Amino acid sequence: MAQYDVIIIGAGHNGLVAAAYLAQAGRRVLVLEKRDTVGGAAVSEEIFPGFKISTVADGCGYLSAKVRRELKLDAHVETLPSDVVAFCPQPDGTQLTIWRDTQRTAEEIARFSKVDAEEYPKFVDLMSRIAEVVGGLMELTPPDLPEVSLRDVLSGAALLGPVRRLGRKRIPDLLRILPMPAADLLNEFFEADAVRGAIGASSVLNITWGPQENGTAYTLLSSWAQSGTGLFRSAGVVKGGMGALTGALADAARGFGAEIRTGESVSEVIVKEERATGVRLSSGEEHTAAAVVSNADPRTTFRELLEPQHFDTLFMRHIQNIKYRGSAARIHLALRALPEFTALAGGDATAQLSGPIQIAPSLDYVQKAFDCTKYGEYSRYPYLDLLIPTLSDPSLAPAGQHILSITAKYAPYELDAGDWSAQKQAFADIVIDTLAEYAPNIRDIITDRHVLAPPDLESLYGLPEGNPNHGEMTLEQFFHMRPIPGCARYRTPIAGMYLCGAGAHPGGGVTGIPGHNAAREILKDSK
Amino acid sequence: MTQKYDAIIVGGGHNGLTCAAYLARAGRKVLVLERRHVLGGAAVSEEIHPGFTYSVCSYVVSLLRPEVIRELELAKYGLRIHPNDSMFVPLENGDAYVSYADEAKARRELSRFSPRDAEMMPRFHEVMYKMAYAVKPIIGYVPPNLIKPSLRDLGTLKELGKHMRGLGKETFHELCKIMVMSADDFLAEYFESEVIRAVNGVAGIIGTMLGVRSPGTAYVLLHHYMGELDGAFTAWGAQQGGTGRVSEAIAGSARHHGAEIRVSAPVAQVIVKNGSAVGVALENGDEFYADTIVSGCDPNVTFRKLVEEKDLPADLVRAIDKFKYRGSSGKVNLALDGLPHFPSMKDPSLMKGAIDIAPSVRYIEKAYDDAKYGGFSKRPCMEVVIPSVVDPTMAPHGKHMMSIFVQYAHYDMSEYGDRDQQREAFGNAVIDTLTEFAPNLKDLILHKQVLTPWDIEQKIGLTEGNIFQGELTLDQLFFLRPAAGWADYRTPIRNYWQCGSGTHPGGGITAGPGRLAAREILGGKL
Repeated sequence: MAQYDVIIIGAGHNGLVAAAYLAQAGRRVLVLEKRDTVGGAAVSEEIFPGFKISTVADGCGYLSAKVRRELKLDAHVETLPSDVVAFCPQPDGTQLTIWRDTQRTAEEIARFSKVDAEEYPKFVDLMSRIAEVVGGLMELTPPDLPEVSLRDVLSGAALLGPVRRLGRKRIPDLLRILPMPAADLLNEFFEADAVRGAIGASSVLNITWGPQENGTAYTLLSSWAQSGTGLFRSAGVVKGGMGALTGALADAARGFGAEIRTGESVSEVIVKEERATGVRLSSGEEHTAAAVVSNADPRTTFRELLEPQHFDTLFMRHIQNIKYRGSAARIHLALRALPEFTALAGGDATAQLSGPIQIAPSLDYVQKAFDCTKYGEYSRYPYLDLLIPTLSDPSLAPAGQHILSITAKYAPYELDAGDWSAQKQAFADIVIDTLAEYAPNIRDIITDRHVLAPPDLESLYGLPEGNPNHGEMTLEQFFHMRPIPGCARYRTPIAGMYLCGAGAHPGGGVTGIPGHNAAREILKDSK
Repeated sequence: MTQKYDAIIVGGGHNGLTCAAYLARAGRKVLVLERRHVLGGAAVSEEIHPGFTYSVCSYVVSLLRPEVIRELELAKYGLRIHPNDSMFVPLENGDAYVSYADEAKARRELSRFSPRDAEMMPRFHEVMYKMAYAVKPIIGYVPPNLIKPSLRDLGTLKELGKHMRGLGKETFHELCKIMVMSADDFLAEYFESEVIRAVNGVAGIIGTMLGVRSPGTAYVLLHHYMGELDGAFTAWGAQQGGTGRVSEAIAGSARHHGAEIRVSAPVAQVIVKNGSAVGVALENGDEFYADTIVSGCDPNVTFRKLVEEKDLPADLVRAIDKFKYRGSSGKVNLALDGLPHFPSMKDPSLMKGAIDIAPSVRYIEKAYDDAKYGGFSKRPCMEVVIPSVVDPTMAPHGKHMMSIFVQYAHYDMSEYGDRDQQREAFGNAVIDTLTEFAPNLKDLILHKQVLTPWDIEQKIGLTEGNIFQGELTLDQLFFLRPAAGWADYRTPIRNYWQCGSGTHPGGGITAGPGRLAAREILGGKL
């Protein structure tokens, strides 16, 4: 008799979500986390004394409303939504703000283009409908295409509602748009660079491509489907930082009876007769379980936690071919005061600054920032995604002081010349110089800074090549091909061995959906 | 003058002629009207410089559907391909790579660059052939209408599903990947050598404003593989007497079946009477009437120039205006006083084959980045062929005709001044770069013809100079080419049809669209 029904390797948010669901269903669950804190890439860390910083993932993530409801998370954590979806300062000193409210946004857009202002509500309507279908896909367990089982068809029925609301005439639109470049899609609706940049930037926030590459319309849609704002990205922060969210997940899991141990690193999964029977810790200690679930990325799972001989060559070649390609650095600044954006001079800036801030004045700007990564260089004019969480939650920093967290693109994992340890400060300087063009006082108010280049994200947070999504969110690694073709149903070729991380469908973002879907499949198998 | 035909084909490009030939073959009274003084559209040969035959645009034949060759008896009417069995690629380090049709030779050459890649090549070919076969039936389907599927459409979809399941998982998965991946990512899963990836990647960018690292280019790679299906490399080569002779052969077949073909007969508009196409009016005012009007032109011309907006539903107009052209290639044709000398070419017989300037993935990608925001590549990718080496009819004795296909050239070159300055600057970039690899080239030039995408648009009538009548990207393929609901060669105007490369299965000298359109017009059987 095994000690546990399920052992989960890694207490990232997906591992915790899976743990909570499985424990809620009465399974005896053990979660083993290598680091001293739970949360994986969704953590709050005091990297500067007195500052609680969401080091990797921030904002309020994209946590699925279903997960939030079913795990009763609102009892454990509070999120502070923001009316601003994106504040976009422009090089000419003007600004465009995307609000949750469509009409209010249309009025802003009208300052740049009357036509775009008229198009915007139509665009939001079409995209929301398509995003609803994409959102429906995310909660499915992908069929093992080209085979489709009756069970797949039945669960696929969940899509009928969204598809009906999309409308038959728009079905080809869905199929046409998915593989498109976000840039082409936006150009079909909008003429103003500022508008295209403001909406299009989030299509590449989490992948290596530029917005002119095929497939980025899909990433825009997946962001849209998960955002919970009814728009293209999430907006708002978690009270206490991302750590509070994963902390809440851990509390929920414990509440349902799961056992969570930190500082315990799994060295391998024990496999007997092609069946996972438990794990061995680096300490040598062993735990047995009927099922083992990996929250680690696929490469780590299949090449480090498991022995290659369990898998055929085609399988291992697919694993080898997974594209990770981290493309962003995370830069955190401690500020003694608020940055003063030229575009907001003279007014009360706090409203606009309390949401996401985007330095992406046009799609060409973002695309050009991307181009250099193909040659192993970081951007000279980077695309920046900023957040000042302290405006919504002052408790994160000492009184009157602020945190500015920056996702800076593009920063390729491998540099053609030199290595990151020597160059990350230089890149951070470029980022701050870029920022200074929009908020001139920035240099004077920085009291401390912390730079995480892709290799740091890899070594500190177990994100291969620094990719926060455990593998690129591209169409070749989408749905029935995530993480690899023929292995997209959370199960693996080894009986009792499962995946529940962002490397599995539907991928990255703090959604909890991979964990939710994996738990569902595990429960099916153990009935 | 009024005369009545069964069918009038607007445009004597190879697809228009193919459609005409099939309709005539089925006993229809057919008239083909070509704007220019020569037939062929982009598949055309002209004596631009005395004694030299230029294959002005298209310069190799590789994708021509074998059933068309057979059914229209094209060999009888002059189709004769000089097979092209090597590709010489000079490298920047003075070395060169040669891709051979001959397997043993190919293997030996590959091993020089990477023994591992040499091992891999047979498997790569096997996978590509499998996938080409997997796609092959699809290019024979009339794309289903997903908005209002007919019984036949549902049948097609069912067949398609059955076909996909029949492929087996491994091929199906590979197919899913190749549809969305970048050519270089796809090749990198097989090959380690930058040179081999570059050389094989070129086929992924031909005619497309995308780089080898842009997602979507792996499919273009497969598209160009289709031609190799029927008898491998033999399907890849230069037409005796120039590419125009391919069009002439199709025209010959059409005439044999009774079709009437007129050149220098530019159609100004299609005459539409209460929702039905009834004829065409030429620019000179002449009118011709027919029960069926077929346009071989691209979607922009077919829907936005030849007919009036009021005769079309608004959503189709929107879709057609969204359709992406983005010409990405230019053409430079040279009359040469002798053969250029490539120092890195050890075997002179390689002059018979293609010469590609694509020494590395980085080189190709830089060329793309150079041109994608406008202008052209300062050091472009090029495919050079010298047909006169194998076909003496192309140039006077001892002299040669060189055809240079160039990527990338953006439709907008305004940064280089007026049209003449743009053409001059572009031509110089091409010749200067090629001279780096063949130092004596400049001294040999007797005459040069330079075509920018804008020139191609003006001369041939291809919008934005796109050689495929619209980009071959996933969002413009199959049931979306040229627009959802109108991918079955029909149009919202009764008796008005499309048969150009802007319809499924797309561009290249395939004759596929012309044949499928004819089959539809003839009620499903040829």
